[in-house]
Amino acid sequence: METIFGIAVDGIAYGMILFIISVGLSVTLGLMRVVNLAHGAFAMVGGYVASYAAQAAGLPYAAALVVAVVLTVVATLPLERLLYRRIYGSANELNQVLLTIGLTFVIVAGVNYLFGPTLKRIPLPDLLLGTVSLGPKAIPAHRAFVIGAGALTLLGLWWLLERTDFGIRLRAAVDDPAMAAALGIRTERLYLATFALGTGLAALGGVLGAELLPLEPYYAIRYIVLFLAVVAVGGAGSIFGSAAAALALGIVDTAGKYLIPNFGEFFFYAALILILFRWPHGFFKGRTA
Amino acid sequence: MTRTLRNALLGAAFGLALTAGSAGAATIKVGVVAPFSGPFALVGKTFKEAIEVYQAEHGKTVGNDTVEFVYKDLDQANPAQSKALSQELIVKEKVGYLAGYFFTPDALAVAPLIDEANIPCVIFNAATSAITEKSPRYVRTSFTLWQNTVPLAEYMAKQGIKKVVTAVSDYGPGIDGETAFKATFEKNGGTVVDTIRMPLKSNDFAPFMQRIKDAGAEAIYAFLPAGPTTLAFAKSFSDNGLKAAGIKFFGPGDITQEPDLPALGDAALGITTTFNYSRVHDSAMNKAFLAKHKEMFGSTDTVTFTSVGAYDGAHVIYQMIKNTGGKSDGAKAVESVKGMSWESPRGPLTIDPNSRHVTQTIYLRTVEPVDGKLENVEKAAFANQPDYGYKVGK
Amino acid sequence: MTTMADHSAPETTTPGNTLMTTRRGIDWIGIPVVAAVGLAAYWLLPDDLGLLTRILSSALFVLSLDLVLGYGGIATLGQAAMFGAGAYAAGIAAVNWVADPFALLAVGGVAGGLVALATGALILHARGLTLLMLTIAVAQIVQEVANKARDWTGGSDGLSGIEPAPVLGMFRFDMYGRTSYLFALAVLVVALVVARRIVRSPFGLACRGVKEDPLRVSAIGGSPKLYLVALYGVAGVFAGVAGGLTAVTSGIVGLDSVGFSWSAEALVMLVLGGTGRLYGAVIGTAAFMGIHHILAASDPFHWMAFIGLFLIGIVLFLPGGIASGVERLVGLVRGKEDRA
Repeated sequence: METIFGIAVDGIAYGMILFIISVGLSVTLGLMRVVNLAHGAFAMVGGYVASYAAQAAGLPYAAALVVAVVLTVVATLPLERLLYRRIYGSANELNQVLLTIGLTFVIVAGVNYLFGPTLKRIPLPDLLLGTVSLGPKAIPAHRAFVIGAGALTLLGLWWLLERTDFGIRLRAAVDDPAMAAALGIRTERLYLATFALGTGLAALGGVLGAELLPLEPYYAIRYIVLFLAVVAVGGAGSIFGSAAAALALGIVDTAGKYLIPNFGEFFFYAALILILFRWPHGFFKGRTA
Repeated sequence: MTRTLRNALLGAAFGLALTAGSAGAATIKVGVVAPFSGPFALVGKTFKEAIEVYQAEHGKTVGNDTVEFVYKDLDQANPAQSKALSQELIVKEKVGYLAGYFFTPDALAVAPLIDEANIPCVIFNAATSAITEKSPRYVRTSFTLWQNTVPLAEYMAKQGIKKVVTAVSDYGPGIDGETAFKATFEKNGGTVVDTIRMPLKSNDFAPFMQRIKDAGAEAIYAFLPAGPTTLAFAKSFSDNGLKAAGIKFFGPGDITQEPDLPALGDAALGITTTFNYSRVHDSAMNKAFLAKHKEMFGSTDTVTFTSVGAYDGAHVIYQMIKNTGGKSDGAKAVESVKGMSWESPRGPLTIDPNSRHVTQTIYLRTVEPVDGKLENVEKAAFANQPDYGYKVGK
Repeated sequence: MTTMADHSAPETTTPGNTLMTTRRGIDWIGIPVVAAVGLAAYWLLPDDLGLLTRILSSALFVLSLDLVLGYGGIATLGQAAMFGAGAYAAGIAAVNWVADPFALLAVGGVAGGLVALATGALILHARGLTLLMLTIAVAQIVQEVANKARDWTGGSDGLSGIEPAPVLGMFRFDMYGRTSYLFALAVLVVALVVARRIVRSPFGLACRGVKEDPLRVSAIGGSPKLYLVALYGVAGVFAGVAGGLTAVTSGIVGLDSVGFSWSAEALVMLVLGGTGRLYGAVIGTAAFMGIHHILAASDPFHWMAFIGLFLIGIVLFLPGGIASGVERLVGLVRGKEDRA
């Protein structure tokens, strides 16, 4: 019983981290139909900004987090204008893959040049150090914080997409861009805003997930399969789907590693194949929230 | 077109080099294959810097011959590419020596080449014991997992530790480490209560930590490739309360390599490792090496085990050139350094005539702050450790 | 997808059928040109045969990807599963049983084809991102199997000691790489001829039909999935032969040959060269690996930035890859000739 409880707690904690670093990709992939392989690169940029802000500029953790998200969004917005706008549309998948891989390479090289190849860290405040005990099981305080932040992000996105004017317009534009434009929705602006939302979430994930996925220049390439897995299982564009997928994969992965560690890798990918076999379009097909 | 241009430029440069040298002198080229880009770019950088320090200290000539190092970038473990690059070095660049090689498969790939061309290959890193068995022209100046692990396991048993869990990455070197540890530790009266092989691509180590706790171990023996996974593992170890519970953390020294220590931070404090080199090794030669390095490159932040691997490798190559009088004869060159002993920044070294691997002092170290910086501080030394893994197994 | 883009992309100024004729013209001379350039390189760059051999065997692998992506519309990031299966099968056969290089290629092809058929039947019902993920997962599992079966594959140390017998009993694989290069060139040219026959056969045309309009194919009584699985299997044979070729010419097989980055790199090389043309695979591979080699030699630290900018440039200014640029150029020259 205790074992099952332990696996569940660790699995949920891992799953929430997966959710928070992947949900930005679900937004760009599901709502804008862009296979944005540079998602990891944006997350990494966020992480590096936070690391720099906290270590060189001496900002506290919370401030560094805000600075990282804002600066990453500001820095990547021109990319939407210059690059992404030219590759929107579902007939462009291959070009999207190629362009975003190219962009990822450039960002990796740039980060490597500016910050060097060694690992970087984001110092945690004392509050997030140590452990929190949940009955018989103790988890790191930082993970408890990420679980909370993940839940808030989930609710916030749900509210934004389902309950606000922005969300209604966005969903209209996704379903039928021509009709939306005819109705006077300024799709260009809407896409710009959604892109900003996607990169902002990427940066947030990069900072909050840095304890688990340490920052180094190859971060951008190393974890992209993981992000894609969460989005594919959840169903692109579905916020609750991403959360459910992240939790499911987190628990499967944790259970596999705990019970039969020597075959941990098999477990994850076998689960992925089985899930996608049963739900070829992910858990929540085509649902926005 | 670019290639023609490049060839022309190379030709011109070569011509200049020839006219610059005095009559009768030749240029002996050494090809170095290592990662200079990609996730392991730091390794190539440390190789190159150490070679340049060696050349600054000992000159670029041996007798009448000028020694020139030619670098080739191999960004990841890719044996087919390793062989193509080494082939290019031999055929096109006409190198007389091959050197470098960070990953085991990349080193293994060149065995048929060096035998056919009769060229010595000095391995600066690749640490699987079996490599030097595959060709008589391999010489290795790094370490093996067995070499580091055997003294560690003996030490742990002597400390009265009875129950240990091994947690290693599921690939060649990790499995080598696990085998070496289990054999030695159990021979010395200890028990390995669980052997965990962790997938190389693991991100979350919490489940493994739970398993270690459940096994009731007093200590762990851990090995992961240096880099992000080690960081996540060490953090997970302290975050999940294993450190607080008094479980001791041991492993080979790759996991606390100097460039990673600032990022590891407090999570690294107290990790005890055995290894062949620490940046703060207390010897006049090491101080001179560090001073020269700092003078040339402005910092010693990246100096680590790969630096001395390359530094001593360069020394072996210089000796081979000297012993053969600049003539290209790989078998003879290797023969001439068998049993050779010398003093290096890491301590005394001898090339074992059988395994052609360096017999060296292995140090027991603990991560501690030194002048505000984390360092591997040496606590004990085990002299004359050979490669215990040579011809073990198959 | 890209075929569609070719008609609608900037060159719509040229009438559609002129472009088609241009393309057919190039297609016809493409294979002799590859053979001629390949032979010329043998004489002109005798010191670079190691790299050139790698380019040839990689081109064969990228060609297999073109078959599934360019002619079947199957987006995959797991083609290395078949390449690696072929490479390991050929390597294991060479170490334990046979030495003849042609037999080893056959072993590689069979292994690649079997893995493709088995996994294709399992995953090809899916499309888009789901299919992409499934192909990645299959390749990861194959890689993990190779890592675990250390006794056979050498695990992460690699499978070394592959010593193929001389080609036709006469030409030894030596360190200068002459035999390797000519052997690889011959295999690639034969593969291009076979691939051209396949894509022009009724089967190939039917696959194209599936790619463009699966609904119509099922309406006239064909099974889209059956065609795709068959095509995937055929491409798997090509990838397996490519893997076997790499094992034979390099003498070693590593886990990287089943790795995700190898699949991704192949996709980049293919799109760079141009999909759905066969020779685009050769152009893309030669361009990517050639640039990598030159940049890595001059400045290993920053070649990534250059190659990244190059990729972005291709997407923005030359959608359809380098091959479409060549076609446009040839079309331009032809147009002038016609007018003259």
